[in-house]
Amino acid sequence: MSEFAIETEDLNVYYGKNHVIKNMNLKIPKNTVFAIMGPSGCGKSTLLRSFNRLLDLNKIARVQGSVKLFGEEIYSNNTDSIVIRKDVGMVFQYPNPFPHLTIYDNIAIGLKMNKLVKDKNEMDSRIEWSLKKAGLWDEVKDRLEDYPSNLSGGQKQRLVIARAIAMKPKVILMDEPTANIDPVGSKKIEDLIFELKKDYTVVLVTHTPAQAARVSDYVAFIYMGELVETGKTGIIFTSPKSKTTEKYLMGELV
Amino acid sequence: MYPFNLRKLKDLLFLVITGILSLLMIIPLLHIIFTVFVEGIGVIIRVGPIFVTGTLSDGGIGPAIAGTFILTFLASIIGIPIAFAVGVYAYEYPDSIIGRATTALLEIMLEFPTILVGLFVTQIIVIPMGTYSAIAGAFSLAIILMPYVAVYTKEAMSQIPFTFREAAFGLGISKIKTVFLIIAPIAKRGILTGLLISIAKVAGETAPLLFTAGGLYQSYPQGITNPVGAIPLLIYTLVQSPSPSDHAMAWGASLVLLLIFLGVFIPLRLSIKEVKL
Repeated sequence: MSEFAIETEDLNVYYGKNHVIKNMNLKIPKNTVFAIMGPSGCGKSTLLRSFNRLLDLNKIARVQGSVKLFGEEIYSNNTDSIVIRKDVGMVFQYPNPFPHLTIYDNIAIGLKMNKLVKDKNEMDSRIEWSLKKAGLWDEVKDRLEDYPSNLSGGQKQRLVIARAIAMKPKVILMDEPTANIDPVGSKKIEDLIFELKKDYTVVLVTHTPAQAARVSDYVAFIYMGELVETGKTGIIFTSPKSKTTEKYLMGELV
Repeated sequence: MYPFNLRKLKDLLFLVITGILSLLMIIPLLHIIFTVFVEGIGVIIRVGPIFVTGTLSDGGIGPAIAGTFILTFLASIIGIPIAFAVGVYAYEYPDSIIGRATTALLEIMLEFPTILVGLFVTQIIVIPMGTYSAIAGAFSLAIILMPYVAVYTKEAMSQIPFTFREAAFGLGISKIKTVFLIIAPIAKRGILTGLLISIAKVAGETAPLLFTAGGLYQSYPQGITNPVGAIPLLIYTLVQSPSPSDHAMAWGASLVLLLIFLGVFIPLRLSIKEVKL
């Protein structure tokens, strides 16, 4: 078993002729919060989607190089992308609980589809467990049969986090999870991210350096598809080696 | 300081013109509904319940009503599953060569003259069978229904934000299950509305039935390989007759057709709830 949750080696991603990720070599240690930051359009979200092969959905995306998940290559011909996604949960920029399913079923569907629980009892307790972990249980325990349209943005996002945790993944990918959430909701999600690293590796894409500084242990700064600098958050923020990183942290690169 | 303003006048003029044109557009529709009611109600009241149960010699249009339901039902069970699959395909693979060809073909089929469909079905079913039949009529209607269902299905699913697809894939849900358990249920209202519009459209069709269904008004339909009537087809036949009593019956049949439309489709349409995003 590798000491890293995710390792990329000479990873390149193209959208048609557009070269969006360039020779990325990144090592993400286990049980940490690893933030990927950079200005809009630098390739952060693309990089994140290469970690669970969600780029397969994009017909013009082409991936070269290697991504290892706990030492195992995920881009070899005999990997089933569906199996990978059981180990890698994902939370998106726009809170996207399934609108046609109840709060309960939103969490149940992934478990059912992947046959991760034996019976109704186990399902009930797994759902309660994941909602508690996501800090949402007290707010929704009396209305599990409601639809998510009645939840606030922050609650929806925590429901999506519960949906991801319920699968007991090893890694949770978060793509700007607080970008569409009000400050109070954001605070709750940031606290939650901090809790989650005890059991999971969290890879967090963020466009605000302040958020990376608040919640992450390690950080990578990406600019125009290239890795500029990576290391412990404290070190990068206090003494960046690269001028580009420094400019970005000063708010001069947008 | 700010006297009469030309812009205000232009705005007013624009409002008045669009208002009048909208009214002009609605008038024929209201007139049709009004006339059908006024002309039709008399004959239905005079004949009584026999009008909807009896055969033509009893003064009723029962077999035509039965025929319309049979044809519409058969056309739906033949056409909807195929068309739904085509719609899903066009949604899943919009950029593939077959996907693009399918989309283009569907759009052409939407505008296709329906009488040509009738001719085609005459060639491949009626002539080999040697008889008009319910199945031939239903088959023509199915051909007309399919592009509507497919296009509505595809469009309704394309409206669903991509993020739900990503969420489903992110949970390890397979492509097929994502379509059937996530995307289609979220797009439910659009898909079902498309189904209803398509069914309503074929229920009122006449041209494709002219040389396929045959028409049957003196007795109830005998089976799907035998000729069958339909309300629009009966109206067409009755109006061609010189007798005023036949014309009166045609009005009555028109009212029944209208009531079936309003009675079946409006409640169904209202009962389909939108999934709140």
